[in-house]
Amino acid sequence: MNRTNRPNYNALPKKLMAENNHTESSNYASELTSTSDYISHHLTNLTFGWCEKSQSWGYANHQQSLFEETPCKVSEMGFWTLHIDTIVMSSLLGTVFFGFFGLVLMGAKSGVPGKVQNFAEFVFEFISNAVKTNFHGTSKILGPLAFTSCVWILSWNLMDLLPVELTNFVGNAGVGIDYFKLLPTADVNGPLALAIVVMFFVTYYTIATHGLGGFLKEFINPIELVGYFSKHVALALRLYGNLFAGEMIFILIGIMFGQFFMSFGQTLWFIPGLMMNLVWALFHILIIALQAYIFMMLTIAYINLACAKH
Amino acid sequence: MNVNATFFAELIAFCIFIFITYRYLWPSFSSILDARRKEIAEGLEAASQSQRKLEDANEESRKLVEDAKSEASNLINLAGTRGDQIVDEAKNQAVEEQKKIKASAEADIEQNITKAKEGLKQEVAALVISGAEKILNKEVDEKSNKDIVDALIKEL
Repeated sequence: MNRTNRPNYNALPKKLMAENNHTESSNYASELTSTSDYISHHLTNLTFGWCEKSQSWGYANHQQSLFEETPCKVSEMGFWTLHIDTIVMSSLLGTVFFGFFGLVLMGAKSGVPGKVQNFAEFVFEFISNAVKTNFHGTSKILGPLAFTSCVWILSWNLMDLLPVELTNFVGNAGVGIDYFKLLPTADVNGPLALAIVVMFFVTYYTIATHGLGGFLKEFINPIELVGYFSKHVALALRLYGNLFAGEMIFILIGIMFGQFFMSFGQTLWFIPGLMMNLVWALFHILIIALQAYIFMMLTIAYINLACAKH
Repeated sequence: MNVNATFFAELIAFCIFIFITYRYLWPSFSSILDARRKEIAEGLEAASQSQRKLEDANEESRKLVEDAKSEASNLINLAGTRGDQIVDEAKNQAVEEQKKIKASAEADIEQNITKAKEGLKQEVAALVISGAEKILNKEVDEKSNKDIVDALIKEL
């Protein structure tokens, strides 16, 4: 079989491809191995951290060829590691999106707005109306909190609509970075950080409304404590799980048609693959917006509950 | 699913973005929208006010036209009656004048008649005296007979 007919293998790092060269004879088991490699490759972040083995800071082994790397694999690195791709993408997206709103506001006028300003105001009004209708207390921070979480999460989630192969394709084309996850939501650290900030504000408003005693009284029954934490962890995991699963399905669609490519060598399989990707992407647009909206609404609801006087 | 130090990085980033939104984006959005809301309210208020003004002006102009019409008809009526009056007065005056002229003419005639009568009486008296002189052939003392003659004239 001609190797040029296996475009999904672009995704694999060169080293992996070299290892898998012998699987060209149709050996189902070894193909399965490369498939799981493909998936785990797609689910691995570009990791920077402390390596015990070499006693040094650096990127995980075989992830990139631009910067210093350590002999440790991702799984061998401890807690003190950073997912560089998540941090870069989330900061970049935040800068772009909030920068967009900032730029619009800089040239904004109270008279008849232009199209861009109108759009920005629509977003603002949408969120501020959601806050006004669902929150009955007084809080100066809730509006900005809801706005930030909704816009930032939406900007993250939009990255799911980029092709799953994009960064691997670019990385293999000579950039030197083989692992790069575009979607910060599919890394649990991002959603968890948001949820913990929400938890902080919920705690703050509960104590501000009911006093420390009132707050502690809620936990007379210890099971409430579990509920208190699981509520916020669920907030993070709901977002993470939805987007992770969405990403996973894109990967599976990619694999499925990659396998067809390999089995039949038919480039025509490109068309149904494209169709399925398109269908899932269209459906996924709904999830992307919905999850950002749900996160925002739950934030408002939780803080509203925290401020409610019983 | 591996939680690691990325969590703290995201936490810090989120706090920074919340702060930016809280400090810059949210207040300026609010102020712009509030300003626009106020402008729109003012515009609507001004529109309804000018609508009211327009109605008032229409009402007033209608009243003015009505007043002018009634005044004009009054004037026309007045002019008519005044004209009639003038004609009447002129007529009356003419009649009066005519009467006066007539009266003075009559008085003249009366005077002339009495004058003529007087003249005639004198002449008759003179004639009577001359007739009587001739009859008596003697001169009648005009003085002594004057009373008689005068009485005679009076009798005429």
